[in-house]
Amino acid sequence: MRRALAIFAVLTTLSMSGAPSTRVVTANNASCDIGIYPAATLLLPYFEVDTTQTVPSTAMNTVFTVVNTSQLPQIARVTLWTDFGFPALSFPMFLTGYGMQSISMYELVARGNLPVTYSGATPGTASAANDSNPNFLEDNHCDRSGGTLVKERRERLQRALIEGERDTGCRIGRQHAIATGYVTVDVVNSCADVDPLDPSYWTDTLLFDNVLTGDYERINPNVTTGNYAGGSPLVHIRAVPEGGPAGVVGQVPFPYTFYDRYLPAEARKMDRRQPLPSVFAARFIEGGSTGFKTNLMIWREGATGATRDECLYAKNEKLPVRTIVRFDEHENATMASSGIVLPPSSANSSVATAFPLLTAGDVGGWFWISLDNGARARASQNWITVQMYAEGRYAVDFDATWLANGCSVPPASP
Amino acid sequence: MKRTFLAALLIAVPLLAMGGTRRAATRPPQAPRDTTIENNASCDISTSPAATLLLPYFEVDITKHVSQARNTIFSVINTSRSPQVARVTVWSDQAYPVLWFNLFLTGYDVESISLYDVLARGAVPETSSQTARGLKSSENSANPRILSLESCESGGGPLAASALAMVQSILTTGVGASSGCRVGSVHDAATGFVTVDVVNGCSTISPDDMSYYSQVLLFDNVLTGDFERINPDVETGNLAGGNPLVHLKAVPEGGGPTNNTALPYTFYDRFTPPGARKIDRRQPLPSSFAARFIQGGRGKFFTDYVLWREAASTGASCVSSNAAMPFEPAVRFDESENPATLAAGEFVSSPVTSAVSTTSRLFPPIIGPGVTGWMVMNLDNSAGYQATASPFSTRRPSQNWVMVRLSADGRYAVDYDATSLTNGCTNNNASVTSIIKMGKDK
Repeated sequence: MRRALAIFAVLTTLSMSGAPSTRVVTANNASCDIGIYPAATLLLPYFEVDTTQTVPSTAMNTVFTVVNTSQLPQIARVTLWTDFGFPALSFPMFLTGYGMQSISMYELVARGNLPVTYSGATPGTASAANDSNPNFLEDNHCDRSGGTLVKERRERLQRALIEGERDTGCRIGRQHAIATGYVTVDVVNSCADVDPLDPSYWTDTLLFDNVLTGDYERINPNVTTGNYAGGSPLVHIRAVPEGGPAGVVGQVPFPYTFYDRYLPAEARKMDRRQPLPSVFAARFIEGGSTGFKTNLMIWREGATGATRDECLYAKNEKLPVRTIVRFDEHENATMASSGIVLPPSSANSSVATAFPLLTAGDVGGWFWISLDNGARARASQNWITVQMYAEGRYAVDFDATWLANGCSVPPASP
Repeated sequence: MKRTFLAALLIAVPLLAMGGTRRAATRPPQAPRDTTIENNASCDISTSPAATLLLPYFEVDITKHVSQARNTIFSVINTSRSPQVARVTVWSDQAYPVLWFNLFLTGYDVESISLYDVLARGAVPETSSQTARGLKSSENSANPRILSLESCESGGGPLAASALAMVQSILTTGVGASSGCRVGSVHDAATGFVTVDVVNGCSTISPDDMSYYSQVLLFDNVLTGDFERINPDVETGNLAGGNPLVHLKAVPEGGGPTNNTALPYTFYDRFTPPGARKIDRRQPLPSSFAARFIQGGRGKFFTDYVLWREAASTGASCVSSNAAMPFEPAVRFDESENPATLAAGEFVSSPVTSAVSTTSRLFPPIIGPGVTGWMVMNLDNSAGYQATASPFSTRRPSQNWVMVRLSADGRYAVDYDATSLTNGCTNNNASVTSIIKMGKDK
């Protein structure tokens, strides 16, 4: 009784200093917050695959999986982008209700084996019929999708992802020892051969059902340079509001959307996808008794819009970074805010010159990072995954913490 | 002008813009709904600064040398310029609060905590409000919501031998609580979970005391953190996994204690005082999840699910009802979407936190030749529907969290959060067996 009275007294006293009034929404698919919920687009922010190895068991590889969490069939459009944000390959996958598809980037890039899917596949007993999705086009071209790329196409893909150029001599990516880039997976209404550089992809093809989920595993079997694996959920980007047929914008609450730069000027929110944030907190360890090291895998929105002119993608190579502050374990801060540039997709050691130095002898701490590239009136979109590894056997991947969602004004730097 | 007209056509008459023929029974677009673009204003769990962090599961070999011991290390970062106090509570696998201590975090501070150091050596992290702050941090006295800096002058240090023995006993045998009740399961390693709350001082009040929630808890979404799970044993592990901690935001954020939140119930619902059951304002967790598995194959991958579940007991003194809480069996889909489940009407059970192999009898077996697939789980413990003595403030499903742990080859391991099928504020989770039923009705 005495305790109850005390609690009441405290509540009464403190009620005047209560929480600020904020309009709170509790529904699903109704916020700008990126979380791990079924989504309409999945982003694999960074992949590496060693195509020089003749067998996958010795090759650095990235494997990702897409799950259709709905009873209805879905079509997922997978696009491989170079690290400069050029779409190097795009293909559809027909997913029966509750269907799942794992994709080895080694199979895809080294061998040219695209996953083969059919709209005629027998659905599971709990799945709806393959023609039951009302948002599919009648003639959706999903009779048979995938297969093996012809040699010329496979080599062209490898040139794009490894050498960073294809036919024009213009740079569409950096030169790498192994194939590098990022992947998007969108829910769509047809398997027709239309990619994200085609305006009709946005107006006629993209759907809005938050039904996909997925994860990735990054495997480095090399006992000298790796001998470990890391993984994380894919970035789940929801359509808000959810559902409906292709081509309908709806009342999108976001100030801009994930695919902003590809959309028709008159319908810039047509994809309805949640935008990504620009400011992150990311922890690091550099050495110490465990010998841990840290890479930051960074995805950034490019400055190039929807163009097939390969020569326009070079401007994505050196996108400015607004601010990086490094705090060590004693909160000593070092700062870098000029001259830092990174492309749309990259893996960066925390000791790289892009990051301010660790000065006071500590081996751990965290970064406050604003990745806004300054290309637009708004902050650009970004994502960071932290990758820690040690001893040739330990590795951990996890998403960095976003400090404000993609719809809000980025927080000021420390 | 012409482009504007075209866009208007696209928006107003979308069918005109279609490149093909859409099926006749096209579902109409959903009506615009109530949405928010603000931070700290939804029920969605995300990796963004929060007022409470949850480490859903840990295991620590307290009898082995550190170089051979399974260990879990977690880090807590104060993302704000102001100093903060974080209350760390170590709970048994049946949700008995075994040990708690405070961390004084200067502005922008980071603190890494090896649970081996705490649970095997009794070394609680030492922090002090007199610590020198970083140049960009506010003064240690700058947080007006911290009631007393004096109480935070010397936190942590070595545990008394008797206290350490009790902690170790409870986390490995479940025996040793002052109540005399069994409060944990028997394990070969210390096992449980951890919560980290933003609080207003370095008080020693128990998290089992409802005044902790009404008088000590704060509401600033400033903490972030991650964990690493390390198994150095070359026979049983030789690998590491890790993930962000579960970030539970206070909604709305900031200010003092008030029950005024749009959340239908809250994470600490079970502990909050009568008349103020939402006073913690923490986002609730969901009950239904999608989680992938690999079981065998050429890479000999294995999968464990970490299942964290809201307790069913009304308090945290005697917690035996938390030892085996029921849940509806999962539906397992193989690579060909063949669904499998356990016998109709059968319920399985697990404690508040556990790591369970997907080959366990808790889950339906694989029925085809495939080695991969995914499961749908509804982990509701049904305690919220009891006619009397429900531990929850409302009639609702219980809160849960699921992590997937894939491992292979004595060197590969990947930990990541399973996908929540809805957020914790929505009570419309379909029974997983209804999925099977839907198929049969087809």
